Amino acid sequence: MTGRVTGARVRRGLVVAGVVAAVAFPLVSHDPYWQTVLYMCFLMALLAVGWNVVSGFTGYASLGQGAFLGYGAYATSLLTLRTHAPVWWFVPVGGVVAAVIAALLGLVAMRLRGHAFVIITIALVYISQLVAINWRSVTGGTNGLTLPLPIYGRDWQNTPYYYALLVLLAASVALSAWIRRTKLGAGLIAIREDEDKAVAIGVNAFAYKLVAFVASALFAGMAGGVYAYALTFIDPTGMFDILFSVQLVLAALLGGRGSVWGPVLGGFLIEFIDEGTNRLFGGGQVHIVLFGAIMVAVIVFLPRGIVPSAERLLRRRRERREGRVDQSVDLRVTEREPHRPPVTGRTLLELRDVHKRFAGVHAVDGLSFAVQEGSITALIGPNGSGKTTAFNLVHGMLRPDAGEIVLDGRRVERLPAHRRAHLGLGRTFQITRLFPEMTVLENVVAPLPRFSWRRLAAGAVSGAEAERARELLAFVGMAAFAGKRAGELSFGQQKLVEIAQTLMLDPKLILLDEPSGGVTPAIVERMVDRIRELNAGGKTFLIVEHNLPLVAELCDPVVVMAAGKRIAEDSAAAVQADPVVLDAYLGADWNGERVEA
Amino acid sequence: MTQLIEVLVLGLLLGGIYALAASGLTLVFGVMGIVNVTQGAFLVLGAYLTWLLWRVLGVDPIVLALVTTPIMFGVGWLVYQLVIRHLRDAPKATTVLATFAVGLVIVGGLGMVFSNDFRSVTPAYADRAFHIGALYVPEARLYGCGVAVVLLLGLWQLLTRTWLGRAIRAAAENPDAARLAGIDVVLVAALTFSIGTATTGAGGSLIAVLYPFFPATAYVWISRLLGIVVLGGMSSLRGTFIGALLMGVAEMVVSTYVSTSWTTAVPYLVILVVLLLRPDGLFGRRERRDVAVAR
Repeated sequence: MTGRVTGARVRRGLVVAGVVAAVAFPLVSHDPYWQTVLYMCFLMALLAVGWNVVSGFTGYASLGQGAFLGYGAYATSLLTLRTHAPVWWFVPVGGVVAAVIAALLGLVAMRLRGHAFVIITIALVYISQLVAINWRSVTGGTNGLTLPLPIYGRDWQNTPYYYALLVLLAASVALSAWIRRTKLGAGLIAIREDEDKAVAIGVNAFAYKLVAFVASALFAGMAGGVYAYALTFIDPTGMFDILFSVQLVLAALLGGRGSVWGPVLGGFLIEFIDEGTNRLFGGGQVHIVLFGAIMVAVIVFLPRGIVPSAERLLRRRRERREGRVDQSVDLRVTEREPHRPPVTGRTLLELRDVHKRFAGVHAVDGLSFAVQEGSITALIGPNGSGKTTAFNLVHGMLRPDAGEIVLDGRRVERLPAHRRAHLGLGRTFQITRLFPEMTVLENVVAPLPRFSWRRLAAGAVSGAEAERARELLAFVGMAAFAGKRAGELSFGQQKLVEIAQTLMLDPKLILLDEPSGGVTPAIVERMVDRIRELNAGGKTFLIVEHNLPLVAELCDPVVVMAAGKRIAEDSAAAVQADPVVLDAYLGADWNGERVEA
Repeated sequence: MTQLIEVLVLGLLLGGIYALAASGLTLVFGVMGIVNVTQGAFLVLGAYLTWLLWRVLGVDPIVLALVTTPIMFGVGWLVYQLVIRHLRDAPKATTVLATFAVGLVIVGGLGMVFSNDFRSVTPAYADRAFHIGALYVPEARLYGCGVAVVLLLGLWQLLTRTWLGRAIRAAAENPDAARLAGIDVVLVAALTFSIGTATTGAGGSLIAVLYPFFPATAYVWISRLLGIVVLGGMSSLRGTFIGALLMGVAEMVVSTYVSTSWTTAVPYLVILVVLLLRPDGLFGRRERRDVAVAR
């Protein structure tokens, strides 16, 4: 028997047992109470699974998920009442209506981040409720809508809703699992971990988030139709209830957001707790206190949720049993003369009179300089001289107030960062920004060369991509770390991986922000060697660096900035002797940055 | 015309009280970066405390703000130590969920103790009004706004004239630099949270005299307070004051000229419109978001 207790095996066993039990239950037991409890579990679980796509994978916490159930319920009920056709016909329509509303809402709400997004989803629930109350001619106001009673006999009990919600739950889990495996899912997780970085490596974050939001609403809307039929009565306070949204969020948090099965487990647990307290205390106020307290406890004491915590525990145990694998960075340096690619005379990047202000600070003040193809250009200057702002303007994290930025003959200053990445611009960050929860290999594979809808559906890591990523990791000397989580690497190791990640898109121009900062000398040496090797292969570099001996050894020309302007550009030796530059770095009466009155 | 002036005056008086109620949300967001949606529940808790003391002691409810404010300070301290302290490393959105959950505990607890019936605090002047020319100004609203403005001025003095105030503002501007300057940022955060709870609770005392309330009123207040601070740019106390006046006037205008059933929609519409068109609010600073901060 080779049976080892792994997370995957335990999960597979539990899932098979659960599905068999769920399908068989109505055939074995005819207790309508338990059928109702179970279909409420399915409902809660499928809503939590939908929430998890937009809030667990993508990191955009929403308190508005329950509203999509309401849209589906109202759409299905209204169509049924107007047409007198069977309710089941309109269940898919309910899903489509919810998805369309999600798309329209996402077009605006997905531009917001963090707390602003949560606030707007809270507002969404209440506005929906108010509209349902006040639009009496259509929704019936507070009187609600009463659906026709089911046509089949009473002995069917709740089995039709039971199986309908079970099928919808299965479909939601399938969709969620599929998303997790595709490029779409990898992109969503990249957005959760670090949205700016995701954009920097070519992920069209807006489109990704929008797709996630629509996917999260689709089955919730369909479930709304089924749920309305099961209740045979819907009203604004029941359908747009913020507490219901809180419950499903709690389900996902408790089970484990970001995992495929966590929200399912959480949905069942929360529904059972709900039923139990209803029987013990008769619901009401105790209920509210209890759910509030559980939510606080989960967020404070079990922030990862049950399933991810259990998986972590199993992984730790396995790692301990298998012992630590000896891993080391390949620090070999090629022993040969530095070789420079032929100078083509082409300008790869040019900044023309670029300006950027922050409140009173004129961080970049009429900056102009060019980077020649095949060069390793340095950008240096005292602290606060505007180097990082200049980098962010080139790379697209900021838009200039005025001026032009030309990349390879094309004006790019108005293009979003992911488009610039597609045009051949790569960058690393001063403080590395890998996605800490992903493996090193997944990090290197994450960049996307272009956006297409078809690509979203592709597997997250294809064979060819994995092979190329391994080559790149070997190139920077990090091949031994491919399976490790990026968050576990040392800072210098992360810097090497970030270079490999940048290379995945085969950029023409690579921006390096302080590559040697905070890195051991051995890794710096390796890095310099790799930069030379890449440059010999035709890659152009623009490097911000404080380590002046390194700049002198590696770069030519050197552009010097002070107070948001270029004050000098020459070879390293010439720049170091330039009195203007010395004054900027050392001058007694120089402030380093100019603040306007 | 008289009606319009009256609506404006009543709206501004209401807005003054709103400003006190919303000051806590702004203060806590400014210093800790947490959108503390518990504030709605704190406000209703303040109202219930006032009701209870008024019933038991028979003291004027507005004067009772002197008693409820320190009690609410203690409540804030407790909530900070039990929950908020542990959220320092949690994602921003998670902290909103957590404070919402704390609000649920308070709202449910109030329901268990006081039931879900409407309560109202009715001192002798509750139904009286001043008639100034053709204008009709309810006394309670005038006194309430007066006390709110005095308390806000006191808060402003505290923030601008005392060492604690300077520490709070320093921690809001740049926590790391404040820490380097020897400020105990955690202590400052605890004090800020408690002060914010106290001012919101005081707002609840004043509002108890104006409107009947029951536990679930907290949800209405969450959105109203959010609407106000979103309008004012989240972390600016001055912005919040102006946002509160605008909100008071807007609600009065809608309930007079449109319909009272749409009045509760005003805060949500404000939230939607402001966040979508001007996410930094009317008075918020545009902040640099491009520099990676280790926080």
